[in-house]
Amino acid sequence: MKLSPAERSYLHDSLALQPPIRPDARSPAQFRPLEASISFLPSSNGSARIRLSDGSECIVSVKSKVVLTANVSSLILVDVDVSGYRDDSNFVSNLNYHLQSILNSHFPTAVLRLTSRYSFKIFVDCVVLLHTSYPLGLLSLTTYLALKTTSLPKLVSEVNDEEVEEQPTFSDDWDQSTPLIPTNSTFQPPLLFVVAVVGDNVFIDPSREEQEVSENGMIIGYETQGVISPFNNISLSDREVKGMKLLHVIKAHLLVKKCGEEVLKALNSVAKDEGGNAIF
Amino acid sequence: MDCITISKPAASHYDSDSDMSDVETGTTSSGLNASVVTPGELVTDDPVWMRGHGTYFLDEKTYSSVAGTISRVNRLLSVAPLRGRYTPETGDHVVGRVTEVGNKRWKVDIGGKQDAVLMLGSVNLPGGVLRRKSESDELQMRNFLKEGDLLNAEVQSLFQDGSASLHTRSLKYGKLRNGYFVNVPSSLIVRAKNHSHQLPGNISVIIGVNGYVWFSQTQSANPSYNASLNKQQAALSSGSSAYTPGQGSVSITRLEEESSWEIYSDVNDDIKPTVRNTITRYSNCIKALAHCEIGITEQRLVAAYEASTAYESAGALVEREVMESIGEDIINAEKMRG
Amino acid sequence: MSNIEFYSAEGLRMDGRRWNELRRFECRTNTHPSSSDGSSYVEQGNSKVICLVNGPMEPENRSQLSTQKATLEVNLNIASFSTTERKKRLKSEKRTQELITTLERTFEQAIVTKIYPRTLISINIHVLSQDGGLLASCTNAVTLALIDAGIAMYDYISAVSAGLFDTTPLLDLNALEENVMSTLTVGIVGKSEKLALLLLEDKVPLDRLESILAISIAGSHRIRDIMDKEVRRHGKVRLSKSSS
Repeated sequence: MKLSPAERSYLHDSLALQPPIRPDARSPAQFRPLEASISFLPSSNGSARIRLSDGSECIVSVKSKVVLTANVSSLILVDVDVSGYRDDSNFVSNLNYHLQSILNSHFPTAVLRLTSRYSFKIFVDCVVLLHTSYPLGLLSLTTYLALKTTSLPKLVSEVNDEEVEEQPTFSDDWDQSTPLIPTNSTFQPPLLFVVAVVGDNVFIDPSREEQEVSENGMIIGYETQGVISPFNNISLSDREVKGMKLLHVIKAHLLVKKCGEEVLKALNSVAKDEGGNAIF
Repeated sequence: MDCITISKPAASHYDSDSDMSDVETGTTSSGLNASVVTPGELVTDDPVWMRGHGTYFLDEKTYSSVAGTISRVNRLLSVAPLRGRYTPETGDHVVGRVTEVGNKRWKVDIGGKQDAVLMLGSVNLPGGVLRRKSESDELQMRNFLKEGDLLNAEVQSLFQDGSASLHTRSLKYGKLRNGYFVNVPSSLIVRAKNHSHQLPGNISVIIGVNGYVWFSQTQSANPSYNASLNKQQAALSSGSSAYTPGQGSVSITRLEEESSWEIYSDVNDDIKPTVRNTITRYSNCIKALAHCEIGITEQRLVAAYEASTAYESAGALVEREVMESIGEDIINAEKMRG
Repeated sequence: MSNIEFYSAEGLRMDGRRWNELRRFECRTNTHPSSSDGSSYVEQGNSKVICLVNGPMEPENRSQLSTQKATLEVNLNIASFSTTERKKRLKSEKRTQELITTLERTFEQAIVTKIYPRTLISINIHVLSQDGGLLASCTNAVTLALIDAGIAMYDYISAVSAGLFDTTPLLDLNALEENVMSTLTVGIVGKSEKLALLLLEDKVPLDRLESILAISIAGSHRIRDIMDKEVRRHGKVRLSKSSS
């Protein structure tokens, strides 16, 4: 995004103030309002779509496939496609990596086990139709919703197939399907937050212009228990990145801890909503 | 305060109004409000009309090429599309961003179908109006305007293909600073006599006809500029009683010179947090008006600002419900005034 | 495949339709008002397509420009989850390229390109779900999005697919039907019988071609009427809003 030097210094100075002034007057812990819809793809086990007020949009689909547990290296595969970017570009590979690694380390693959030989493999396909700021936060929220609303077909064949190998068969009755993440489970999928650093201040969900003038950025993971790994720094603008102080790290940690709980609550209430499943 | 709000998509256009209005199938109603014509629809088979934008003719018949409303002005028949990019007209006051620096001209993005052109000869260069353009000017173009700079200008003329040629040959035009840029749909901007306004709270706004809006701290609030201006004025007035040739002219050139150099400066003046807060509030208000698809005028912007003071933090204005409630307040207030 | 009857003795297809019945067709325009100049969403049976149009606008690089007319660029993104069986697609896949070229050629004729010289019209299509008739759904979505963007077109281009089962022509094939019979996709200009698009996948006997074309043209006209109704409805809503 092109900004004039005057615009840059205006934005930077506003953000570096104590207390900071964000260009849309949000508080440092405030997200931009989102629109979300779920379960609009009948051919996928789970689907979710989130759109921001500036037009950024992401659609995530979760599909399952029965595999021989021994034959696969991982039971969750994430694939990210960003409109306008090559699939092998650094930008897309990095996004893919972050989402994949947090799911690899913080997802109970035990729920995917069907029998002693077979398991479900789930494919999380993300499509970013449009993005203005770094889309990792958007991707993470949409992925959370898609996973929360995913249901898998119910196994009707024998669970114990040690002796006799048997291809798993499933109930045709979709009402019998089980949610991937049971409602009574304590587990919630992990989230990733993007934080921008300007001066001594940190901001959650930075907009494109805030990113442009930021001096540094962070990617921070969150789960119900609290802040988890990763806790990486990332350069959000293509200008020179300034170093980070311990102060930034502490502030960002507190910020994510504060927001994380509310974000989870908001997402969970969307996931519970049984209302009409239209995409728009 | 809430960290995050997630709502269901607003299928507002789709469901709420569709049941109320009766939907005619394909036939154009000759009602009072203009009816919609769609591409390929026959508008008239009378060959006497001159065909304007949004139409094409085949075998003496005129067809519409866009979805829009028919406009019959004098002998010109045209169809105005319901939506579309900004189309420049001569005399429009626009805000633009420089995209390219080229051979004696700049290319400026004004949100239209093509970038506009700003010729080197159409800008004020430091040193005064009568300064001859030299070769070094061409090489130093980036010192005046470079890629990414924002400026406001007037559309001087249009090229054959409809693209605009701009000029900034007035002190009210030029590079913009001390403020914040907002983009709203150009269809919501009403063409008026004046597009630069002073808003309560010491803020100036330039509402470009192209939907590019610039909020800034009012220039006179700047003490240093004021001081130099006063100095010049003092010199001029003192010279009026005992006139010596050349005295007045020296100060005039210097005035021009100073203001010209200021015009191309990239450095902001000091802007207090209260001014910054006011600017963010106004920008959220104009975004609220845009969201509610209300035509943007100075009065409505001020009304929106006043309505928004009910919310202590301007950050509440990013929520859809708040934007819609402010929009409703403004519409209702106008209806009551009649 | 023995338990699926593609065309029963009573004249019913596997989903209960008759030979000349269209699947459920729903469409919306202006679905992405703030992020693109024109947008649309089309559902044809179980196929779901989003189309985003930007332009006419200044292109990124000068080399793309034509001084006489607008340049069209189509990007087709078929999601890997769009089919029942997930399949990751490369952007350079031949099938995708063929569809892109077909769409570009069709719309270069349909848009009044000569009034937008030196500009770029960028069309982005996202296929979220496909169940037969992919090219037809994409064509319809592009038509609607271009109209929404206010880009001048000579007329609607409405498209539908059709096939031949033994000697019976069948209208608007779903994915299973497409797998077993030759498919003809046809794009019709407005209310006329002129073809803007014609794609035949596999073979049909020449003497049967006319019957398939006939139902395709009729089907396209019906789709055009549905699209036109939506454009008018949306137009009325817009006008009533702006006048208030």
